[in-house]
Amino acid sequence: MPPTLPWGTLGAREDMGRIVYAAAMSHVLYPDYYGQNVGPHGRRMVEELIAVVREMGRSLAATAPDALVVIADDHLNVFSFDAVPALCVRVGRSVNRMIQPDAIEFDRALDGLPERYPVHEDLANSILEKGVQAGFDFAASWSAPLDHAFLSPVSTLYGDRLVPPLVPFWVNCFVTPQPTAKRCFEAGRHIGRVVAEGPWKVAVIATGGLSHFPELSLARIGQSDPVFDRRIVKLMEAADHAALTALTAKELHESGSHELLNWIVLLGAVSPARARVGFYGEMGRVDLAALEWDVA
Amino acid sequence: MSRYETNVVLYRLKKDEAFRDRFRAEPRSALAGADLTDEEREAFVRWDARKLNELGGSLHLLISIPGLSSH
Repeated sequence: MPPTLPWGTLGAREDMGRIVYAAAMSHVLYPDYYGQNVGPHGRRMVEELIAVVREMGRSLAATAPDALVVIADDHLNVFSFDAVPALCVRVGRSVNRMIQPDAIEFDRALDGLPERYPVHEDLANSILEKGVQAGFDFAASWSAPLDHAFLSPVSTLYGDRLVPPLVPFWVNCFVTPQPTAKRCFEAGRHIGRVVAEGPWKVAVIATGGLSHFPELSLARIGQSDPVFDRRIVKLMEAADHAALTALTAKELHESGSHELLNWIVLLGAVSPARARVGFYGEMGRVDLAALEWDVA
Repeated sequence: MSRYETNVVLYRLKKDEAFRDRFRAEPRSALAGADLTDEEREAFVRWDARKLNELGGSLHLLISIPGLSSH
């Protein structure tokens, strides 16, 4: 009879940390915005996406994670041009919803949500401290609030269910020079290692995209790059992470895929898992998607 | 050259209601202390959002300033 390891014969201890759920999705889950700015077909498309994300939320909640890492970006709501962190871990005991009078419409849509959410302080501190030890000069914030990039997906996923303690993680997607795709992937690998070393069951989501606002040009609002987006989704389905981490800042900027950096952090955390497409839609103003990764 | 200052003004317009009100009433006066080029200053005074964007103004600021957003 072979010797039995203390934690069983399957090679995984019950108390070992692991990523129990991973997904990425567009983060303006607000039909009125698309109804006003795109028209009825935009409204219908995002309503279809919201239905898929709610279904994904049931899968997520069923894993009962101890913490939910949310990888998203700032829209010049939180960080000003006085200091823009490339990668930032939100630490502290709790985090507030951003409250801003006369906010843009999809941030006003957060108005009815809870004003405060718990932070998973131990996991956030581990990601930060072990990151700095490993050579990632992460910024830390004790006060940054959450805008739609975080709370639109979280509130859609969880609905009336209790949201687990969060670890918000910001990626500078919009202020040049952004971190590279390779660096974002490495940061995600680091998050995956920290989770594996800890005792927690952790869910990870990344938000934003797909392509919109090419070149961050006001004149090009209304355009997306469906050819680029189809290619990206196929690469994720194939788990071709080398191709995704080879994307250049120029490619991301020209196609309007700045927020893909958030997704690439997640790829690092779940690599080599393959993505499954829950939703993909080409709207014109933005292409929408929701993907899950097979991490179980 | 003064991309930073352009975006500082845009950020302040987004976040500082009193400054925004002053700017809407008397743009030239509100910007008197800002370190802008003549071209940038004129774009602000005319509220030419596309020009400000071409001069380095953040798209996300330009689309989210209450009462002045352009999208």
